[in-house]
Amino acid sequence: MKFVTYRLQKAIGRFFFGLYCSISYIFLLSPMVVVIGTSLNGPTENVEASFTFPPDSFSLYWYTQIPEGQIDALLLSFVLATVASLCGCLLGVPAALGLVRSNVPGKALISAIFRAPLQIPAIVTGIAFLQLFYWIGDLTGFYWQGSIIGLALGHIFIATPYVVGTVTAILQRFDTRLEEAAVIHGASPRRAFFRVTLPVIMPGVYAGALYAFMVSFSDVPVAIFLSSPGFVTYPVEIFFALENDFEPSLMASATLVIIICLLLLLLVQKVIGLDALLKVGGSRGVG
Amino acid sequence: MFKSVKNAMAGIFITLFLSSSALAAGQFDGVTLLVGTWGGLWKDNQVENIVSKFEAEGGKVEFVTGSPAANFAKIVAARGQAPFDVVEILAAQVKDYHELDVLHPLDLSLIPNTEFLSESRYNEWLVGSWETQEVICYHKDKFAEEGIPVPTTYRDLVHPKLAGRIQFPDINSGGGLTGLAGVTFAEGGDETNIEPGLNLVKEMNVLKFWARGGETMAQFESGDIIASVVHAGWCLRTKKLAGQNVTTVHPRINDELVGVASEGWFGVMKNSKNAEAAQWYINQFISADYQLKMAIKTGLVPVNQSVFEAMAEDPLVAEMIVLDPEKVANQLRVDYSKVIIPDWTDQWNRAIAQ
Repeated sequence: MKFVTYRLQKAIGRFFFGLYCSISYIFLLSPMVVVIGTSLNGPTENVEASFTFPPDSFSLYWYTQIPEGQIDALLLSFVLATVASLCGCLLGVPAALGLVRSNVPGKALISAIFRAPLQIPAIVTGIAFLQLFYWIGDLTGFYWQGSIIGLALGHIFIATPYVVGTVTAILQRFDTRLEEAAVIHGASPRRAFFRVTLPVIMPGVYAGALYAFMVSFSDVPVAIFLSSPGFVTYPVEIFFALENDFEPSLMASATLVIIICLLLLLLVQKVIGLDALLKVGGSRGVG
Repeated sequence: MFKSVKNAMAGIFITLFLSSSALAAGQFDGVTLLVGTWGGLWKDNQVENIVSKFEAEGGKVEFVTGSPAANFAKIVAARGQAPFDVVEILAAQVKDYHELDVLHPLDLSLIPNTEFLSESRYNEWLVGSWETQEVICYHKDKFAEEGIPVPTTYRDLVHPKLAGRIQFPDINSGGGLTGLAGVTFAEGGDETNIEPGLNLVKEMNVLKFWARGGETMAQFESGDIIASVVHAGWCLRTKKLAGQNVTTVHPRINDELVGVASEGWFGVMKNSKNAEAAQWYINQFISADYQLKMAIKTGLVPVNQSVFEAMAEDPLVAEMIVLDPEKVANQLRVDYSKVIIPDWTDQWNRAIAQ
């Protein structure tokens, strides 16, 4: 009897867990399904631009209507997000190492400064960068606002704290005895870093890079001030297009982004393994 | 002898070459004009109809896309050094532009199309570019099915069958200030007293305060709303593009005024090195040809009154937009020089957003 009750309890538990997971998935995926479905609804005789879900008819018509400017903006956003995440790693990893391992005076203050971009509203960051670039331009004659360099600097600023955060989280749990063992066995500090430390903190670097990529790719408030003719990012292009248009071609363009992002995630899974990103909380066998 | 013939030939060739170059040279050779305007369809229309003409004159146009609010913020952040030569300005921003002293005085002889504008729509600093007519857009079939009387005033939107089925512009949206002004004046308020308008909005039981006019199309399609306070262009597009059987009502404001108009302007920036080209651009924008195309496509009202007759030939436009200049002149226009926008926003936030 006890055994039956136990199995029944387990089955009920499993059922509710499954239900909970299903609701979570539906909640997370339904907006995407609606966007994709709407983009496939073709125009009819009476209705030129309908937002109908589920679609009345299947058509790729709106995919042929995506403005060229959106495709250019999409490419720019990918390049920019890649640059921001790479530079974020180049700055963020040494910064995290310094924060965790050094004993410099004012460490807490430095740590707060590295976190500051997360606490400042992005729109303020955008205005601040614009003013800074004008000021630099007035002094040097080189105006960075509206250039790819200016945009990249703004995005590196907002993306780097994510790398610092994830790498710091791993480093705080890092067992320094591993490095000491490597040094005792004859490895130089440099070699110990590249062969021991870096592989252990890599999940944090990957996770930080991915966050940095996402933050840069989806940013509107900073890019709105730093973009210029020829350098308009995808979210900004969509943001302004929405003010005057409301055509299903926007859904088609959003669907393309969803597909590209899914392909990128598959690539990340293939090359790095998404489970590596989940180890940010601390890698096994360390600490 | 041979040498002199050769020299003469060379001379003729050089003369021909120079004269052909001079003929090919355009009015704006080497000029890159920066235009601050909205993105999307709005910009595409300009690319299609104005940019090609400018390029034929040897120049190049680059667009700094963004809402007028975003573009103004760029000017403020850049301490007056505008990142464009010519910019679209909303009526509510005119005071701010003057206070910041960033506008270049216009030479109206370079903008001859102003002769087709009403005198109130141009001056030495600004030229009107478009107007919108803020209306009540309602679903004819649904109103008839449910026996809801066709509204003639904003107050008519306070109806039990409309509760939770109407949309109103959010104060921060493009139609926000004009929408609030409309209900305020209709309820006996004015630029300095918006409380009556806020009270009416509260009474309306609004489903959603829209941020972008395009939401109207989607909400009518989904059946979530059956009426919306929005400019006539969005109502027109809801019918034309989304196939919804909607139409407009120009709400009665008081005994004299019927309907609400909102104005858009063009200004040239003080720091512009291409002021002449900027004024050429404005002249093209207000030309009959461009204004007509813009109006038919977007449902906005042209400032160039010479195209009203041609517009009336489009049955949908004729149905939804007031084209009689006398009636247009009889619409409510807010005097934004008396409006303290942060105060309006603050009161809205306290009364409505909460």
